Amino acid sequence: MSGDRVGIIGIGQSNFRSRRDDASYPDLVREAVVPAMLDAKLDFDAIDAVVYSLSPDAMVGIGNAERLGVDAVGGRNKRFLRINTGGATGISSVTAAYYHIASGVCDVVLTAGADKVGECGDSQTVLNKIWDPTYERALPLGTINMLAMSAVRYMRRYGMTEEDMAYIAVKNRRQASLNLRAHLRKVVTIEEVMESRVISWPIKLMDCCPQSSGGAAMVLASERFIRDNKLDAVWITGVACRAETYWMGDRMGNNPTAEHADAYALGRSFEQSYRMAGITDPANQVHIAELYAPFSNTEYHAIDAARLVGKPGDSIQRTRDGEFELGGRLPVNPSGGTLCTNAIAVTAMARVAETALQVWGRAGAHQVDGARVGIASGNGGDHQIFGTMVIEA
Amino acid sequence: MELLGRQEVWNITYDHALGETASYFFTQIRDHRKIFGRRCAKTNRVLVPPRAFSDETLLPTTEWVEVGPGGRIEAFTFVYEQFNNLPPPPYSFGYVLLDGADTALGGYFKGVDLTNPREAAEKLAISTRVVTKFAEQRKGDVLDFWFEVE
Amino acid sequence: MAYRIRPAVVGCAIRPAITGRDRSLEEIIYDISQAALADAGLTIDDIDGIVVGCNDQFDGRAISVMMASGPVGGVDRDIMSTPSSSEHAFILGALRVASGQFRTQLVVAWSPTEASSMSEAQRLGADPYFHRALPLDELSAHALQASALNHVWPNAWVFAETVAVKNRRHAAVAWPSPPARPAAGKARWPLTDRLTTEPTTGAVAMVLAGETFIAEHGCENPAWLRGMGWATEAAFLGDRDLATAPALVEAARQAYAEAGVTDPTATFDVVEITDATPYSELIAYDALGLSPRSEIAARMASGWFARGGRLPVNLSGGVITFNPVFCTGMIRIAEIATQIRGRAGAHQVDGARLGLAHAGSGFAMQYQSAIVLGAAP
Repeated sequence: MSGDRVGIIGIGQSNFRSRRDDASYPDLVREAVVPAMLDAKLDFDAIDAVVYSLSPDAMVGIGNAERLGVDAVGGRNKRFLRINTGGATGISSVTAAYYHIASGVCDVVLTAGADKVGECGDSQTVLNKIWDPTYERALPLGTINMLAMSAVRYMRRYGMTEEDMAYIAVKNRRQASLNLRAHLRKVVTIEEVMESRVISWPIKLMDCCPQSSGGAAMVLASERFIRDNKLDAVWITGVACRAETYWMGDRMGNNPTAEHADAYALGRSFEQSYRMAGITDPANQVHIAELYAPFSNTEYHAIDAARLVGKPGDSIQRTRDGEFELGGRLPVNPSGGTLCTNAIAVTAMARVAETALQVWGRAGAHQVDGARVGIASGNGGDHQIFGTMVIEA
Repeated sequence: MELLGRQEVWNITYDHALGETASYFFTQIRDHRKIFGRRCAKTNRVLVPPRAFSDETLLPTTEWVEVGPGGRIEAFTFVYEQFNNLPPPPYSFGYVLLDGADTALGGYFKGVDLTNPREAAEKLAISTRVVTKFAEQRKGDVLDFWFEVE
Repeated sequence: MAYRIRPAVVGCAIRPAITGRDRSLEEIIYDISQAALADAGLTIDDIDGIVVGCNDQFDGRAISVMMASGPVGGVDRDIMSTPSSSEHAFILGALRVASGQFRTQLVVAWSPTEASSMSEAQRLGADPYFHRALPLDELSAHALQASALNHVWPNAWVFAETVAVKNRRHAAVAWPSPPARPAAGKARWPLTDRLTTEPTTGAVAMVLAGETFIAEHGCENPAWLRGMGWATEAAFLGDRDLATAPALVEAARQAYAEAGVTDPTATFDVVEITDATPYSELIAYDALGLSPRSEIAARMASGWFARGGRLPVNLSGGVITFNPVFCTGMIRIAEIATQIRGRAGAHQVDGARLGLAHAGSGFAMQYQSAIVLGAAP
């Protein structure tokens, strides 16, 4: 529907690091908002609404911390609301901003947020509290061991090995070394990953994302506003969100709808995004993918769910063959991905931002040549809520 | 430039109502060492742990079905890292499909040597048969039971 | 800026005071979602997407949407969460329907009382940099706002008492057999315990649909969204003039512009205001343009804002009657929708054709929203 599209006109990201003792939480938000506004060439007066991206308050240590971010986003007396879908929050926020514009109500929307995970003594303690107090809170569930169990099942179903997992870590670190904004930029080898200490088998330390502090911000606008003001933009042509069952045990056992080894709802979300964008053959029509994968094993089922390969499990060999890295046919996570940078509140926004930069030709040293169609995804909760987007030049 | 910090601790206690369904499940464990699931009438699936309604069909579940004590391993992991307020490592936990159930129940695995994870992974490979063990003193919570290889 | 597709409310369920421990929070959320669907004459299969409004600190869960996604019907469905307030869930749901990309939305909010101290949970919302060491919970913030209003309007405290009496009288009509009789809240100068109410457990759900869906399915008596506005105040209370509500003035401006309302004093048949304390209601009369401050004395004396008056406010009994803290905003919207749909029962205003819902949340109503619903699109 030309003339009715929603575009991205500005992007800002911090250089992500672990501790930021020099900045308060709102400072980190501002750090991303300013470059995004400069990139969009707009004053705050032009912003019709703000969508604030913030996942568990406990990570930042402030209840409803978005209230403190109001001034950082220039939000006084403006439309303002906050989104939280766990790890998917960043992409859900961009999605919510999209609907502010697609509804016809707003022309220009700012979405922004930040995380200071390094300040919370132990994020796994907080993340243990996402499980229900009724049945599972007493178990030592955390996001790491939850996805370790996914790895165990993926190994069983598709033959993934620990070395296959290590390959993803090596690939993403190499790509992150080219990305000034990434947190973990040191190149590693398969041996180093294999020898790193086991956290929750089979996930080892170097198979894990870091805890990162930093902010991200994006400015979206209606096609009409973009044309009237002769602005440069890239376009959100597909957007969707899908959830699967919260109960991990229901993703196992007899004939589960959503298998815990795979990413069922991510696949359903991509189906919807692709349909909206008119993509019928993603493996050949998509040029770059930023797929949310905080642990190395999860990149495989994300590639499967995005239908970048023929059937689940094919992602392993195709990755080992070099197809999904910079220089390969369809680079996945050329920024280094969530595995190398994870400021939870905005990690999924960074996936959208990086995809947008790629199809815009602005990704710098980690640019995928000729990229014009990109996809981004975000995961939230216990591998439960999945946002996806298609972004095109 | 002197940079100051400030320590804060979040300290709120919650008293969560478990509701009738979960209360029945835990009192059966506490008083009778029995584990029950609930059947969804539309799909006939026995959901464990039990819920008052199925999140797939959104229909109320209809009857109690005793499950276990035997079952098969569906997923597992071994934790070697200490996390605040979680148990001291190493330990193993995961999910078990109890006999008669259609969905898997979370719990600890005990009695496996975790010194070498790759060897332990073979002992607890998916589909290994296990049996549910119950604590002598039970309180009516998830820690009243665990699983051991048969 | 017109909506691509005009949304309407086609079903509601309101439970402002839930007692007993036979249902867990998830089961309560399931019950309210099913009730709203039943009221709409629809099933979950008719729902394209869901937005929930809930607060992690009240729920005792680090990501409350996770476990709640099942009970609201979120499995294999598109679900989002706005922890900023319950009314924001309604607003986002309405935007999604207005985009034309969703035929329907289910929006759900809840507020449990399982935390050992709601006050402690709320205090976590104060920033640790400058304010956490202060006893700054929502009650304190309301008290500061009350004292600011008393300062510029020395008779405010008298009118606050009158508003409290009015709303409680309305509750006697609206709830002849109330589900609970909440105790007085705490006093915190200048608020007396007559002006606050003990929190209750509550839940609310609404079904929104677009005009095309409504025409196809023949939904009865939709309450059409005629205008919607929302805005936020500054974060630090000290940056605000607490006797005023500029964010509400702005939210009302947006809503009235969309709805074509030029004279709010004489346009609405029924109004619901989030009266966390009666002072909130007084501030809202002004900021919503419902009455110049100079007229309030005379209008209150003549029963203008009371049942049977020219501009009845809070016929539901308001928040002073039932205070399910986090969902009080969405409940106001649901109450107005119910009035417009002619389903308000004992507290129905005959021939209600245009209604206004005000939602205020956070410290001293930091978030302000105004929603105009009408019997005609």
